[in-house]
Amino acid sequence: MRLACVFVPQLALQSVLRREPESRGFAVALFDNADSSARHAAPQSPRARVIAATEEARRGGVRIGMTGAQAGAACPTLRKVCATPADVATAQAALGDLGFAFAPRIDTGGIAQGRIFFEIGDLERLYPQGEAAIAQAIQARAARLGLGVRVAIASSKGLARVATRARELAVVPHGGARARAFLAHLPVAVLEEQPSDVGTALKRWGIATVGALAMLPAAEVALRLGTAGARVHRLSTGIDDEPFVPQLPADALEEETELDYAIYEIEPLSFVLRGLIDRALARLACRSLACAGITLRLKLDPRGLDVREILIAAPTREAATLLELVRLDLARRPPDAGVVGATLIALPARVRSTQLDFLRPAGPAPDRLAATLARLAALVGPENVGAPQAPDTWREEAIAVAPYSVTGAPRTPESAARSALAVRRFRPAQEIEVLMGRDGPTALRGTETTARVLIAAGPYRLRGEWWRPPEEDGDFARDYWDVHASDGAVYRLHQDSRSGRWFLDGYYD
Amino acid sequence: MSRAAHKFEPELVAQLVTAERLADRQGCCPTGIDAIDRLLGGGWPRGALSELCGRRSSGRTSVLLASLAASLGAGHATALVDADGMLDPRGAAAAGVPLDRLLWVRAGGRQALRATDLLIAAGGFGLVALDLGEDIARIPSAAWVRLKHAAERQRTAVIIAAPRRIVGAFAASAIDLLAGRPLFDGAGPPLLAAIQTAALVRRHRRTNDVAPARTNLIVKADRGRPWEAI
Repeated sequence: MRLACVFVPQLALQSVLRREPESRGFAVALFDNADSSARHAAPQSPRARVIAATEEARRGGVRIGMTGAQAGAACPTLRKVCATPADVATAQAALGDLGFAFAPRIDTGGIAQGRIFFEIGDLERLYPQGEAAIAQAIQARAARLGLGVRVAIASSKGLARVATRARELAVVPHGGARARAFLAHLPVAVLEEQPSDVGTALKRWGIATVGALAMLPAAEVALRLGTAGARVHRLSTGIDDEPFVPQLPADALEEETELDYAIYEIEPLSFVLRGLIDRALARLACRSLACAGITLRLKLDPRGLDVREILIAAPTREAATLLELVRLDLARRPPDAGVVGATLIALPARVRSTQLDFLRPAGPAPDRLAATLARLAALVGPENVGAPQAPDTWREEAIAVAPYSVTGAPRTPESAARSALAVRRFRPAQEIEVLMGRDGPTALRGTETTARVLIAAGPYRLRGEWWRPPEEDGDFARDYWDVHASDGAVYRLHQDSRSGRWFLDGYYD
Repeated sequence: MSRAAHKFEPELVAQLVTAERLADRQGCCPTGIDAIDRLLGGGWPRGALSELCGRRSSGRTSVLLASLAASLGAGHATALVDADGMLDPRGAAAAGVPLDRLLWVRAGGRQALRATDLLIAAGGFGLVALDLGEDIARIPSAAWVRLKHAAERQRTAVIIAAPRRIVGAFAASAIDLLAGRPLFDGAGPPLLAAIQTAALVRRHRRTNDVAPARTNLIVKADRGRPWEAI
């Protein structure tokens, strides 16, 4: 089994640069921030110290452990940032998605330290040039996600981990002897994550390379340096028993950000949300998936959450479409207060190519239709847009609206019309006065309609929903009439059997 | 041809047309009523506005639903903008409209025009119908110009249904349904059986006839032949 180890050095700093890509290429220093709720502005506390810095900042004289004042004095153009837990979490999630772009399951045991592992066995068919090409492809994909990574491929997790510390792109050869030969000339410090007593002891003994450590007797090393020393010695000989624990990807994908100050307008908020959408779609693309729905959680100022579900008619990878749907939803129902943070949860789905029917015209493009439906919903309300439905009830006026599907039901053979005569319904039914004769209504008078009845057909008695109480619109009993009125129209009206009131339901047209 | 046709599905055979008729079919959206299709030379023109006018109980809504059913039956994406929200889903289903494939938008006044504009601009709709309902506020000509150009760009057939003509010269076709006469079965207690009406072509881009073409229709409320030309 060949494993790839992908390591993100200075994960916290990279998480900030991922959120602020415009800072790449500049001198940037990451400061520790004891107050995790504070936003990543220039650290105000004099006790804040540099915990990571870009190459440009190092060249400018910034060193780990400097205070803000020291770092600013060393490098006047330095940008000082802090990382929030949300930044680190989303960067870790992006790292996981990077792994899922190449393997169905990954080992995320070291993701807190910015490291993942995955098997590359099947990738050799996609990259016949060899494992070096695979490592380069992983690094290139990581760059698209906004992460700079070190990649190593080896036969065990430990060896791959060591190799990432040694080189930016490394391939540890197969076989124990060849792996030992690869490790032999590396400095012994690469065997450990952090400097420890073992490294200090080895330095005191004059052991500078991994090869020199491997030549020492294992029992003597364990006797003098304990369990940690024994583990390091085994690693130096190319032996590693750490298991590979694969995991499946999570169902949903989250991108989160916190803002420096509350935003009240939709336009600047849209700019922030666009960044979340872009990053989410980039991560979905790693898994060859599209976005089928969005849950947006807006953190309000001073407290509260605004949670909204944004349905998408068809899975899409278009950031512009998603942003438009989000903007329309915000315009239709603006947040009650200023927004100080946002979490976007994207529901992944496969994009299924719709094969056009040879005999059926191509309909509207799903992306454009989704945006149009959202615009219509924003214009008239979501309850007024959709496919009409006739609910399962004997109430003639009942109607429901179902979501309109892009694909719709499969084309069925044309159903013959059973009746051509349509009814136009008044919603709600208009209460009228009716003059009754011996054979039925003889005249009707309402707010908009007053006429004599020329011919009356009825009554048609209808009663139903006796199991529901009247106060819940249940248990109705009506007598329906079709009348030809003197104004030329053919009306349908009914009398409520209990109250005796008359209502004009509509007219045949 | 007959031997070859046996090898194909009946549906495929039904779609085969001669080259001469293909251009006409592509340019029209059938109404679903043969008599009115003959008046219009195949149906509602694509890429243009058409008017469907008629007072109460003239059969206007029935013709509109038949057009929606025909468009959906042909596989076109179809939308109805209902200004008064007067659609009866049971009646539409009985008229052959597959409800789950019809996009229904309830919008009144200027929102109805805006919704129609959005639907046409989306592209891909074979037919967009705007039912303006009973009370029609004054609509500026600029709105019809905009809809007309949008329909031309997207090759969408647009039907404007109203009690009276309002689109004017911007409509390529106009059908006026005269006042209907209800027909009751008189064997025993009366039962509404049908409405007899007449469809008059007030405007048609293809004909230059001085006398408007006309056909009488019976709109039935029962099974069998729902539409009958007399």
